[in-house]
Amino acid sequence: MANVKFAGGFAMLKSMLVAALLFSFAATPGLAAEWSYTDGTGQTVTLDHVPNRIVMHANTAAGLIPLGIRPIAIYVDSPVAEDKSLQGLDLSGIEIVGEAWGQIDIEKVAALQPDLFLAEWWPLDKAFSGLESGAGSTNQQILKLAPITGPTQGDSIVKLIGDYETLARSLGANLDDPQIVADKAAFETALGKFKAAVASKPNLTALPVWAGTDALYVAATQGSSELMDFAGWGLKLITPELADDRGYWETLSWEQADKYQPDLLLVDNRSDTTMQTAAAQPMWTSIKAAAAGQVTGWPAFWLRNYKAYAQALDKLSAAIDGADENLTN
Amino acid sequence: MPARAGGLLVLAIGLLAVLFASVTVGARPISLADVWAALTTVDPDSTTHRIILELRLPRTLVGLLVGAALGLSGAILQGATRNPLADPGLLGIEAGAALCVVLGIAVFGISTLSGYVWLAFLGAGIATVVVYAIASMGREGATPVKLALSGAAVTAALYSVTSAFLITSVTTLDQIRFWQVGALSGRTMDILWQVAPFLGAGILLALTTGRILDGLSLGEDVARGLGQRVQLSRAYVGFVAVILAGAAVAACGPIAFVGLTIPHVARAMTGPNYRWILPFSMLLGPILLLGADIVGRVIAPPGELQVGIVTAAIGAPFFIAFVRRRKLAEL
Amino acid sequence: MNVSVQFAPVTLVATARRRLKARWWLVSSALAMITLVLMAVALTVGDYPLPVSDVVRSLLSPFTGQVDQANDFIVLGVRLPRAVTGLLAGAAFGLSGVIFQTVLRNPLASPDIVGITTGASTAAVVALIIFHLSGFAVAASATGGAVVIAALIYALSWRGGVTPYRLVLVGIGMAAIAAAITSYTFTRARIAEVQQAMAWLTGSLNGATFEALLPLALGLMVLAPLAAVLCRPLASLELGDDAAKALGTRVEVTRLGTLLVAVVLASFATATVGPLAFVAFAAGPVAKRLLGPAGNALLPAALVGAAVTIGADLIAQHALGRTQLPAGVVTGAIGALFLIYLLAAANRSGRGA
Repeated sequence: MANVKFAGGFAMLKSMLVAALLFSFAATPGLAAEWSYTDGTGQTVTLDHVPNRIVMHANTAAGLIPLGIRPIAIYVDSPVAEDKSLQGLDLSGIEIVGEAWGQIDIEKVAALQPDLFLAEWWPLDKAFSGLESGAGSTNQQILKLAPITGPTQGDSIVKLIGDYETLARSLGANLDDPQIVADKAAFETALGKFKAAVASKPNLTALPVWAGTDALYVAATQGSSELMDFAGWGLKLITPELADDRGYWETLSWEQADKYQPDLLLVDNRSDTTMQTAAAQPMWTSIKAAAAGQVTGWPAFWLRNYKAYAQALDKLSAAIDGADENLTN
Repeated sequence: MPARAGGLLVLAIGLLAVLFASVTVGARPISLADVWAALTTVDPDSTTHRIILELRLPRTLVGLLVGAALGLSGAILQGATRNPLADPGLLGIEAGAALCVVLGIAVFGISTLSGYVWLAFLGAGIATVVVYAIASMGREGATPVKLALSGAAVTAALYSVTSAFLITSVTTLDQIRFWQVGALSGRTMDILWQVAPFLGAGILLALTTGRILDGLSLGEDVARGLGQRVQLSRAYVGFVAVILAGAAVAACGPIAFVGLTIPHVARAMTGPNYRWILPFSMLLGPILLLGADIVGRVIAPPGELQVGIVTAAIGAPFFIAFVRRRKLAEL
Repeated sequence: MNVSVQFAPVTLVATARRRLKARWWLVSSALAMITLVLMAVALTVGDYPLPVSDVVRSLLSPFTGQVDQANDFIVLGVRLPRAVTGLLAGAAFGLSGVIFQTVLRNPLASPDIVGITTGASTAAVVALIIFHLSGFAVAASATGGAVVIAALIYALSWRGGVTPYRLVLVGIGMAAIAAAITSYTFTRARIAEVQQAMAWLTGSLNGATFEALLPLALGLMVLAPLAAVLCRPLASLELGDDAAKALGTRVEVTRLGTLLVAVVLASFATATVGPLAFVAFAAGPVAKRLLGPAGNALLPAALVGAAVTIGADLIAQHALGRTQLPAGVVTGAIGALFLIYLLAAANRSGRGA
């Protein structure tokens, strides 16, 4: 009957309208779209729009800039030129609002009207980078301007980079960008080479160290995320017996420098002078690997993106390939 | 007189014992036979021989000279300024040295200990000149009180510039925090050759200042009455003290407590005569310094404790007990 | 004998006293003016662009109700607490320093040299690096450290009484121990922790809030009048123990009382802003030189301390381009320059230091 036909038509029209409305609702950006992120402690930060005026700590910027998310300002623990994680990144157009540990210029930040702060959460210090205890209540005031959140420092740099990818995606990054895909592919290749190099030298042992004039410091594997990654990929790292205070380093007098005899020495490369200091100590060559020149750099604590990681792994692979694994048995 | 000469002999023997201990005791236990072998038949491949010759021997010699220098410069400064609290740090020597080393690291990227030596020396010298110049302005010239105030002012100014660099450069902070504690570890023969001429000359000159200091310590007017040219002699002994203290800081970094305490101990043994206080200080200094160094080597195995920490840890309580017991001459 | 001749010396003394009093008022008002001007500059200058009219409007907003969130955050939440903290901490340091120097009769004897602020710093560094405390707990440790070390120094220098001389010597010894503990902790910590501690140790007015300021403000309200009351017996102490006793002053009690006041002032100030270098040391000598023989240097020293602190903070924040330094880095330089200038100008009055 005509009524039924019309009624059916109306129903269909109504459902089409409802569907169209629902569709437009979901498609209209920001109208009901929230942004939220849950950090490692379970706390969630929610904003009513996807943040685009973000102030980041330097390490977080090193993680997110290569993924396409650019902050409006960053705060660094040291002068920009000395920060290894920022090396090679294009920082044009980004304000620097702090270049010393614990210093964030709050007035500059306020003038920029940020909507979010991003930094890494350190479980041991129970604080985000830049808000640790030494700064007292100093930087707590920035939280009156915008909330802070970020991924957690854990036992793997690869996992951390993965967390940054998730974060970047939620902030609207396009991870299919050819440059990003290429960087990740380069990392996978470098990782493959690294694993092959390690597997080809099953007797190779490595020792991560920092050298001072008064003592040689041997690093504990579990104190460093990238060392944990290397160990997980098969590299045999010598673990010190007596790691002190929180289990990061064992201190060796130079008279005891030959306590551990690895085939390959990994020297902390955050500063170029560490290597020089090591070479200047008479007992450096009491470590056979040093005397044989089997020494390379250890990218300590500053890797945050695939490109830097790939480069570091390539250097390590080359050192492993060139090392005699039976130097010390 | 014989008692003091006897005391000097005892100290000399004590010093020899400490020197012996410094070569034979260390973070790594080495038998006496090995030590003897290292000194007589040198085996370049043996680690223990290398430790004795390249680590312990230079360290001992540097400690000997630096200890003597610190003891002597402390005694000279306390006598010349008539201030029992005087110590080389008072004249801005340590602050000047630290600033120059920090500048070297931060601006010129110098990173070796032997590089620091000249920087520290330069800084110590400049700081002292500035302190003295400021204290001499005005009518009375460089009175002890003005010298102390001027020294404290210049030290504060220099430390603020230094901390500006340390706050703004992590790599500089990372290096300086070890140098700044004062240590004998890592001091090799190169360092010894760099500072030995100054330390040697300084020590010899210092031993001749006894008469001048005896005069100065009686007070300006008495000294002048005795025919001494006060300004000139003060400048001369000050110069000697600065050479000694500057070279000491250049070699080992700032080791503050030795110059302050040794002259008091020496004076307690010898009485107020500087012709005795000086040689006693010269022997007591290395005994304290090397003794502290040896303690530092064995107290935190397999690491070491820097000598600057140990001298403060054992020197300070000793000094406090000392201050409580004896009747010390007032200012 | 002529009556006028008999009374002449009295008139001379009265005129001299009046002139000295006038000089005291002149110096104090000038210092107060300088401090106020510096505070005004601190309120109006900054990286957040705010015209002076907006600053004034924010300052008056608690009374007028004209609230502007963003501007008020900057003026009332950032700049005002910072300026007031500088004022109070500087005054506390200055007061503490001049009391120490007067009681111990030695211009070198200020809380930083005698080990009080060093003790506070060591306690804070240990709290930060070894116990991983933060914020208020660090401040409390600093206060505790200062008081403990002061008590130790006093106890160790007691031998039937405390001579200033022995107190200073023991203080220097304790300062050396405390400094060694700090140095040692620095060599054992991770570099990030050393940076944290350096940030605290240099002394800074960053992040000052009114809540953090409360203990210091209360302390000053109680202790400053107390110090003023104690200042007359203090003046007699300057003449020497025997003379003071003859004048009826209870020497040990006065000494202990005033030192206690000074220690608490220094420890509260250190707990609030960290050990600001050299403020306590320089405020006294600077004030004394400005006043000449015109007596009581307590208020002028407090004002000098306040002016140096606020001025240093301004320079540290704005004078070095992009870098922001903590105030403590500059207080040493400013205090030192001030003192050096006055040392050099000594030839005019012909007085020794």
